[in-house]
Amino acid sequence: MKNRLKVLRAERDWSQADLAERLEVSRQTINALETGKYDPSLPLAFKIARLFSLPIETIFQDEA
Amino acid sequence: MFCQPKTMSPAAKRYLARFFPAMAAYVAVLFASVWLIKHQAPHGPLLWVLAIAPAAPIIAVIAIMGLYLIEETDEFVRAMLVQAMLWGIGVTLAGCTAWGFLENADLVAHLPLYLVFPIFCGAMGLAQPLVRWRYR
Repeated sequence: MKNRLKVLRAERDWSQADLAERLEVSRQTINALETGKYDPSLPLAFKIARLFSLPIETIFQDEA
Repeated sequence: MFCQPKTMSPAAKRYLARFFPAMAAYVAVLFASVWLIKHQAPHGPLLWVLAIAPAAPIIAVIAIMGLYLIEETDEFVRAMLVQAMLWGIGVTLAGCTAWGFLENADLVAHLPLYLVFPIFCGAMGLAQPLVRWRYR
């Protein structure tokens, strides 16, 4: 699934490690999310949305 | 075994804090069991207890691995481990099935069943970097 995590993170000048710390996950998890190879669970997706104060559908795009 | 020490989760630290004492207990119980059976020639219920004793810490290790899966809060790390475990299970089941039929035809030596868990651990260990590599 495509997502805007990398862009949102860059806008805030956060490293992958910074975002990982804020979401209480590992840096490798952030990497897997950003490359779109791993889709987060609903709880993690909501956590990401809350962190960026954005609706989930503006962060993750489910079209092919 | 699980992720880098620097970024190790509290669950992974608990896993290691349980795993190493269990393995130390395994080595101690295994040597004691083998020695006592060889030198004391026990029989009856005592022989049964001594013979099965080394399995107890190994069963504890299996439970410790299960506990880690439950306690790990990083869902991606958990998913990687589950995939590596599935590879481990698949390789072990396939390998043991094939070996069993070869044994049936007297083509290979008998494989003691206590080797099944180490085979699973080895296969799972080999699968871990491959599983992670797919998500790079």
